[in-house]
Amino acid sequence: MRRCDGVNRREFLRIGSLSAFGLGVADALRRRTAAADDGLRNCILIWLDGGPSHLDTFDLKPDAPAEVRGDFSPAASDVPGIQICEHFHRLATMMHRVCLVRSMTSPLGEHNLGSHYMLTGYQPSPVIEYPSYGSVAAACRGDAGVLPAYVAVPSFNAHAANGYLSGSMRPFAVGGDPSKPDFRVKDLDAPAGFDAARLDRRRQFLADFDRLSAQVEEGAFRQTRDAQFEQAYRLIASPAAKRAFNVGEERPAVRQRYGMSRIGQSCLLARRLIEAGCPFVTVTDNGWDTHGQIYRELKEGYVGGYAGKIPLLDAALSTLLDELAASGLLDETLVIVMGEFGRTPKLNTAAGRDHWPRAFSVLLAGGSVRGGQVVGSSDARGENAADRPVSPTDLARTIYTLLGIDPDREFQTADGRPVRVSPGGQVIRECLT
Amino acid sequence: MFEHAARCVIIATVGIATAAPGIELPTPSQQPNPIVDFETQVIPVLTKAGCNSGSCHGAAIGRGGFKLSLLGYDPQADYDSLVSEFEGRRVNQVRPEKSLVLRKPALDIDHEGGLRLKPGGDGFRIVRDWIAAGAPRGGDRRLLKIEVAPTTQWLPDLGGQFSIKVLAHFATGDQRSAVSIQQTSEDVTRWAVFTATDPAATRVDSSGAVTVLRRGQTSVMVRFLGEVAAVTVMVPINEGGDAPANRPLANFVDEHVNRTLDALRLPHSPRTDDRIFVRRVYLDLIGVLPDPAEVDAFVADRAADKRQRLVEGLLDRSEFADLWALKWGDLLRIESRRLQPEGAAAFHSYIRDCVAKNTPLDVMARTMLLATGDGYAVGPANFSRVPRDAREAAEHVSRVMLGVRLQCANCHNHPLDRWTQDDYHGLAAVFARVDRSREVKLVARGDVIHPRTGRPAVPRIPGDRFIESPDATTWRDQFADWATSPVNPFFARVAVNRIWRELMGRGLVEPVDDLRATNPATHPELLDALAADLASHRFDVRHTVRTVVTSEAYQRSSVSQSGNRADDRFCSKALVRPLAAHVLIDAVVKVTGVTERLGDLPGGTPAISLGDSRVASEPLDLLGRCSRDAECSAATASSGSLPLALHTINGPWLNAKLADPAGRLARLLTTSADNAAIVTEFYLIALSRRPTQAELNHWHDGLAAADSSGRVAALQDFCWALLNSAEFGCNH
Repeated sequence: MRRCDGVNRREFLRIGSLSAFGLGVADALRRRTAAADDGLRNCILIWLDGGPSHLDTFDLKPDAPAEVRGDFSPAASDVPGIQICEHFHRLATMMHRVCLVRSMTSPLGEHNLGSHYMLTGYQPSPVIEYPSYGSVAAACRGDAGVLPAYVAVPSFNAHAANGYLSGSMRPFAVGGDPSKPDFRVKDLDAPAGFDAARLDRRRQFLADFDRLSAQVEEGAFRQTRDAQFEQAYRLIASPAAKRAFNVGEERPAVRQRYGMSRIGQSCLLARRLIEAGCPFVTVTDNGWDTHGQIYRELKEGYVGGYAGKIPLLDAALSTLLDELAASGLLDETLVIVMGEFGRTPKLNTAAGRDHWPRAFSVLLAGGSVRGGQVVGSSDARGENAADRPVSPTDLARTIYTLLGIDPDREFQTADGRPVRVSPGGQVIRECLT
Repeated sequence: MFEHAARCVIIATVGIATAAPGIELPTPSQQPNPIVDFETQVIPVLTKAGCNSGSCHGAAIGRGGFKLSLLGYDPQADYDSLVSEFEGRRVNQVRPEKSLVLRKPALDIDHEGGLRLKPGGDGFRIVRDWIAAGAPRGGDRRLLKIEVAPTTQWLPDLGGQFSIKVLAHFATGDQRSAVSIQQTSEDVTRWAVFTATDPAATRVDSSGAVTVLRRGQTSVMVRFLGEVAAVTVMVPINEGGDAPANRPLANFVDEHVNRTLDALRLPHSPRTDDRIFVRRVYLDLIGVLPDPAEVDAFVADRAADKRQRLVEGLLDRSEFADLWALKWGDLLRIESRRLQPEGAAAFHSYIRDCVAKNTPLDVMARTMLLATGDGYAVGPANFSRVPRDAREAAEHVSRVMLGVRLQCANCHNHPLDRWTQDDYHGLAAVFARVDRSREVKLVARGDVIHPRTGRPAVPRIPGDRFIESPDATTWRDQFADWATSPVNPFFARVAVNRIWRELMGRGLVEPVDDLRATNPATHPELLDALAADLASHRFDVRHTVRTVVTSEAYQRSSVSQSGNRADDRFCSKALVRPLAAHVLIDAVVKVTGVTERLGDLPGGTPAISLGDSRVASEPLDLLGRCSRDAECSAATASSGSLPLALHTINGPWLNAKLADPAGRLARLLTTSADNAAIVTEFYLIALSRRPTQAELNHWHDGLAAADSSGRVAALQDFCWALLNSAEFGCNH
């Protein structure tokens, strides 16, 4: 389902921005030893694109007037006092793992601006494009393993990208739809008859070409190309890494538990990638921009259907948390579930809700996140953050702290400007153990 | 005091203010009986104090139960909020100091927004005086325009400071009768809102004092009462030294470029040599690598004007029409899902025809705006079939024809620019009576409801006037007349900006379709000069292309000098630009001698000739071609991605071509050519030059290491590396 504005997100934010020059400096930083020892190693960010309605998912208002409370009712979860939408049957049994922030607040109610703010902690600027969490983590981490340090499942999100950091921090998008039978990540295997020596000679010849020719200076094109090729060679040379992308290898029973939907199989793929050593995966789930027919979209997808956004997310997220916990990986993995804003408390004339950034909800789980609690609250109609408001900058600082990344650490842009990872804000102390 | 009053009277009777910034003019609180005007004096106070910003009372539902219009765009609504709502407690006419609108921002009562109006301060006094005068609605004073001084400020070094002055010109009097309109001017620096575009580069305080922190060129935004302006600030990038005397100059483009280089103390790179020039201009104008014979002939030519003649020849080639029709297609969103294959083909054919015939741009624009008929037969009618409804049409037309992004003005007046909701919905109304199905025609009904009035929006030329005529069939014509007029401030400017970006790598304004006062050009006078030049030459696109490509700025080498390494926008050197997707595909075909499979089209179809963006091609997708189902404002950025890297290494795109028995390499291998000859031929076709001796030696050694059975593989690997080299993949 498209977003209401239909604008190509990739292009929107280049308001006089610096071109994506590679960074000799950041690359040098990359070669430092790995990330801080305190802090979660992994992160799975589930991005609910379009802006999920807080009033119909995690912050229901059963006592509000009918045109605000809508069709869904809250239901109890396994944590006394925490109620979420009745249609999250399975997630309700594991809210003890989840820290639910209900007092997110932002001034930006447009998709691109709101997304950028939530995914970077910075309000969009005409001068500079900021990197998102996965790219910053990749830059801080030093040389990652064989798998790309930052993978996007299934598609590339322009707001969760590398900003002013070098092109090698760009997320690797697997493309396609992991729930389709013919899903595969293409071009992972060298052509028949190509051994390692041949690939090596090509690498060498390419380096020779650029070295011998004085025509094109070291700059963005060469740096990005080299970084991407290096990553590609590492991936090609590792059968184990390549297998991680193959969801088809999972037992059918496991695939069914996640749900044979795009979000379900994307979460499954995320789990496989984390297991195989990829430290940061963003899963994008489109279709939450419910300006019309919200209850059909959220519950069924189409009349009489089983493709409602909520049940599909319910199966995917709960199975993901379960499996990560069972393998022990959840202790080292931060799971984030969020979108760019909430939706209007008053239903509109198309039986839907429009954009509403003044109050919305975000979920955190895993690792050192203190689960089983609600942080903050919205008012009686879900219009404003009533108690303990949290800005996207606060959230960003919290995420970086959880990942063991110093939020005040500085990177340098291509023209030598120092930029902090996070522009201030306050850590949400209640989320941490 | 008397002097001030006398001057006031003189100005009033003369009618036109002659004040220049720096002369102190009376402000309301200095006058004996202050008559405070709500719209032009109280609203600026609230704006300066931040009351009506998007994060406070200017938000969609206001704050704390009190709503103001965003940055004061709706004075009537603000007046009602202040005076009539909340049982009149916001404004207390009996005891003005008790008004909530004073007590809260003065922190006399709890106020989440903090201290905003210091008690006894200027702002406080203005609001208080207004309330004491009976909180009159006023409304017979309106802002005509603001003048900001300086508009450009050059400072010799960091740490320098200067102050911005803002002069507002008002008209006072009954707006409906022409009689007794007085024009006054007032220094409103105190109430203007100043914002640094780049806070790391400049710091500006609330009085308009600017301190420069970083070298280069940046800007400060000035806002007063819905009008916005930009002040450009320049500090030389390199310290000390003299500007080079006599920078090369071919035409007026160079005058402007060189002047900025001087101000910024940037050295310029020398003229690029003939071989590189040929390759560059071939790729930029016709998207094709030059044949080695063409390059050699050009180098041998002794004529002084050979570069100009080369350019003329390229403008006439059919590939020029192909390439520039492709660029148009991205802008106009020619694709077959929305337009159907027949519509896309008809539209592309029309556009290509226009480029080939060099149809004047204003004629093209008029034709596209007004065409009706069967989209499958009438190419230009498809222009109207791209947007799905009237509002999308307004956004599409303003972006394409005017270089203006109108979207924000849908819900409120545009916060960064002068566009109002009336402009947005009024422009949509102009296009509301158009049937956009296969047969494009005007219909009798169709309105756009203005969200503020709840009634049909009155058709409007944005920023200019409402359209009076009740005859809906003339509305689009009136818009077309206005848009394509030689004095229209947008049409020619966005056109030359786009041409500049295609040839130089970066628009004078970026993004190219975001012309606004708060997004200043790197070279504002140059942009104006190019636009005026285009308009005065009957909107002849080739004329502008020629002007740019024959300038010295275009012909500079891309190799840095000491001191201009970081320059990406002042034309001290040429920018290195990755080849666009379609051009790269065709270049690979030419070098390897093997055609690229494009959808179901016949083998050998050049990628630059494609009319539809949906022709199936994995390499084109991976290289980032514009899908055209939404805006693609940036030039296709083949800046690389991991899937592209994997495909280049493992996929068939290059590998199959290098192994193809009918390809260039395979054919050369059947001859008696030795490795050196093969290497040379590939250098000539791919890079338009011969290998240097050092390169020949290197490849000799590298290829000799492979025995005869491995010779083929080694040469294939050499070719693969050549095709991935920066020198091949970029226009430098």
